[in-house]
Order: sequence, then C-alpha cells, then structure tokens
Amino acid sequence: MLYACVYATILLGFFGILLKENLVMKIIAMDVMSTGVIALFVLVAARGGTYTPILSGAPSIAYADPVPQAVILTAIVIGFSIQALMLVAVMKLARDNPTLETRAIEEEYRP
Amino acid sequence: MTLWTVLWIALPFLVAFSLYLLPQGDRRSRSVIDCRVLALGVTLLSLAFATTLFVQPAPLSLSLLDSFGVSLLADNLSAFFILTNALVMAAVILYCWGTDKAKFFYTQVIILHGSINAVFICADLISLYVALEVIGIAAFLLIAYPSTNRSLWVALRYLFISNTAMLFYLIGAVLVYQTHQSFAFTGLRGASAEAQALIFLGLLAKGGIFVSGLWLPQTHSEAESPVSALLSGVVVKAGVFPLVRFALMVETLDPAVRLFGVAAAVLGVLYALVETDTKRVLACSTLSQVGWVLAIPEAAGFYALAHGLGKAALFLVVGKLPSRNLAVLRQQPIDTAYWVPLALGSLSISGFPFLAGFSAKMLTLKQGLPWQVAVLNGAAVGTAILYAKFVFLPHRPTPKADRWAAQPGLWLALLLLLGALLMANLGYLDAYAPGNVVKALTIIALGCLIHGLVIQRVSLALPRSMERFDHLVGGMSLVLVTLFWITWSWVV
Repeated sequence: MLYACVYATILLGFFGILLKENLVMKIIAMDVMSTGVIALFVLVAARGGTYTPILSGAPSIAYADPVPQAVILTAIVIGFSIQALMLVAVMKLARDNPTLETRAIEEEYRP
Repeated sequence: MTLWTVLWIALPFLVAFSLYLLPQGDRRSRSVIDCRVLALGVTLLSLAFATTLFVQPAPLSLSLLDSFGVSLLADNLSAFFILTNALVMAAVILYCWGTDKAKFFYTQVIILHGSINAVFICADLISLYVALEVIGIAAFLLIAYPSTNRSLWVALRYLFISNTAMLFYLIGAVLVYQTHQSFAFTGLRGASAEAQALIFLGLLAKGGIFVSGLWLPQTHSEAESPVSALLSGVVVKAGVFPLVRFALMVETLDPAVRLFGVAAAVLGVLYALVETDTKRVLACSTLSQVGWVLAIPEAAGFYALAHGLGKAALFLVVGKLPSRNLAVLRQQPIDTAYWVPLALGSLSISGFPFLAGFSAKMLTLKQGLPWQVAVLNGAAVGTAILYAKFVFLPHRPTPKADRWAAQPGLWLALLLLLGALLMANLGYLDAYAPGNVVKALTIIALGCLIHGLVIQRVSLALPRSMERFDHLVGGMSLVLVTLFWITWSWVV
C-alpha cells in the first residue's frame, strides 16, 4: 500500500513535468517527483524495522537500515541545490518572459 | 598507488574550492597561483595518472571499509577515458588563456574535470550518481556563463532533463540495493528488470544516446565554442562510460548496450546529414559517435579518445570561422590556416589513415558482431559524407602576419589536440593491414562522391519538433517502456 502511494507520487511528479505549461510549475513538479524518490529510499530502509539505528548496549531490536538513509541524505542536498540553481535561472528569465510559458520561451530562443 | 589515486581524485576539488580563498596578492605571487596555471596543473596531473594506469600490470580496485559495494576500479579502460579528459580539458584551458574569462569559469572547469575523473574510476551506483550530478551543475554553470537569456534557457533545459533522468536512475539504484544490499555495478546481474531499465534510462539520457539524447544538438551548438568542445569531447562520455562498464561486467546487459549503440550511430548520422549549421552538424555527429563508442564495448576506450580529441579540435576551429552557415561558408573562402586543422579533424573522425580515428574505427569494426559491422559500415559512409562538408570548403591563404601572435592559445590548443591524434594513432599499429587501408579509403571516397552528387544539391530539413522540451520528457517515458520491455523479455 505504502509502495503504491510512493510510486503514485513519483508518477504524479513526472506527469507534472510533462503536462504543466509554466516553468515554475514544472520545477515544483520535479520537486514532487524527487520527494517520491526520497520516500522510496526511506521505505526501503524501513523494511527490516523502524527503530532508529543507534549503537547502544540495549538488546538488539528491529532497526531501520541506515545505508539508504545515509545515501538519500546526499541526494536530498544535491536535489535542493539544483532546484535553487534552476529557480535563480528562472528568475533571470522571468525578467523578459513574465508568463514563463515553456512553449513561448522555446519559440523565442530557438536558433 | 592507493595514496596516489586518492590524492589525484581529491586534488581538483581541493584546488577549485580553495581558489576563492587565495589572496589577490601582487603580480609575482599572482602568476604562481593564477587560476589558469592551477587548472592546467590539475589536467597535467590527470595525464600523469592515466600514464601510470597504462603501465600498471593489474587493474586497481579500492573499496570502502564495510563498503556496501561502494568501490573504485581503475583499469585500462578508465585510463583511456581519463587521458581524453586530461587532453581535452588542457586544450580548452589553453584556448581560453588569452581571453578575459573570470576566475569563476576556471573554477567550474576544474570541478567539472574532477567530477568526470570520478565517474571514470567509480564502480558503484552511488558514487556515480553524485559525480554525474556534480557534472550536471558544473556544465550548467559553464553553459550559462555568458548569462544571455538564450544561454540561460539552454542551460536550464539541460539541467532539467539531466536531473529528471537522474531521479529515474536513483529509483533504479535503490531497487538494486533492495535485491543485493549492495550498490556495486555487479549487483545489476541479478537485479529486477525495472531496476535495470530505470538505471539504463538515466544513463542514456545523460550520455545523449539515441532518442533520449535529442537534447544534445541544441545544447552543444548553442554553448560557446570552448564549452561545446568540453561537452562533446568529454562530458557526454561520462554518461557513456558506465554503460560500457555494465556491458563488460554483466553479460546479460551486453546485447542491449550494443543495440542502443548502433541505433544511436545511425540516428545521429541521419540528423547530421541534413543540417546546414556547422555547430549543429558537429553536435549531431557527436550523437552518432557516442553510439560508436557504445556499440562495441571492448574497443570503447580507444574510440572515445580518438573522437574526443577530433571533436574538440573541430569545435574550437569552427568557433573562429566567419559564419556558422555552411551555405555562406561555401561562398566566401576561409583562411587556409583554419582549414588545415578543420580538415585534419574531419578526416580523423571519418577514419582517414595516419590519424587516430582510423585505428579506432578499424579496432571497433574488427571486434564487432556481424550484424553490427554491416550497419556500422553504413554509418561510417554517412560520417564520411557529413565531414566532406567541411573538407570541401573553399579556402585561400590570407597574408596576415600577426595571425599566430594574435591568438597563441588557439594554435597551442590545436597543436596539442592534433598532435595527440597523430600520437594516439601509434597505439594500434595492427590496423595498417592493406585490406583495412583500402576499406577506409573506399568509405571516404564513397562519402565524398555521395556528398558531391547528392547532398550538396538536395536541401532537406528534418522537423525539429522532437527536440522540444515536452517531447524530450515524453520521449523519456517511451524509452523507459521500451527498455522495460527489452530487459523484462530477456530476464524471462
């Protein structure tokens, strides 16, 4: 069930990229998609258990796999820095193309 | 060797990030820590590293403690790609030496160099992901460097496509981890069909291969010429290299890689044949040449080297021509000093003897499967036709005494690239069998003939709608479905 929700989020994000006209909406759709991917990593990590993996003297319990979580932390940072870069570029583009419609921008800057 | 590898991989990033911390001191201290000198030093270090890789007896493999598959693998194949990276990067830095590029530009070049090196020696999905994303960001900043609206849009489009592709790739990576508890490339062997298809899609889009690579012509032709040289010479190879590694490591993936390689080789040539804009012809030819690299994974290293050097030289020269339109160039003769490197680069990629392109092409064709060789020979004729467009441009010597002194960077860069093309030619002397030479000359003669008889007289234009942003993203989903179907039918 959870898997279905996560995959639905990813797909919705992808369709957003595909179908939205506005550039900012496209970027937000990409964020939705990357949120879905992050959730998938967390879900995979939680397969063995959901306890926080902290080393202590306590008896062993079903803890979550720390590796995918560590990996996705890197991906989150990369993802957000890319989004920031894109938004800066969009801000500069918006000065001359206030509507930010992809189709119009593409027509204008075609060689 | 371990220490040397670690130092070499870390140094570019260290240099790039500390560039901003260095003081802007007086003239003498500035000349030592000048950003151009440092950037060139970094590429020389890569050159030295590639040489040590060539002479070392066995592949070097390093893995992280408690690794979960995270590891580095440096062998002969990596050495070829690292050599390409070092030479092309050095040539571009020499080219930009006399121009007023800011420190920021060189910082991005060094970061790009370091992250491409990282791709060429990593052997696990996560290191690869990080390196590819860093390449995406650095390439974005380099394309957007002129900060005109058009360059911003081209860069934004590039980053958008590449980031979407990498999101698919990440899903594939976690699915591989779920099966094997490891991120190593070898984990692809038993992975599910979805995982393989998703990872493939990410790399195909990033490497500009076949339909997923149609973002490439516009991006590579609209960037400034040194940046185009970087993008076509090495950056696309960062997407191709992992696919080659997969094909060599996991035999079930080998047929898919070969198939996509051949398809890309043909598609790129078709696009390039009808183009009339010099930079777009070169960019479409890149689309085809990465297919060649991919089609025969055993010979990929040498082919990538030959193509990287030739294409970088071509982009640097074409940027100096008076016009980008081939029809205009046919009317007004160009300077012979530009024509000579242009013709040499073109002949190398078409596979003319005594240049590295010939050895690479023969090595590739020798190791191909029968069905591949048949199709690739056709693509080779197509390549010869499209480069005949450059070879047959009219030219005449112009008496300009200060031509050499005015832009020493350009000539040094071309000397480096073309010299390396001649030197690399010695790497595979077995190619000079009489049959091979005759074959290469026949292909080129046939190409020139068809060019003269047909191509020059027919003007045809392929619709460019496939290169629109929506279609690129939509094409991604179609390629994904196809890939899933291919891998699924093989797994079953």
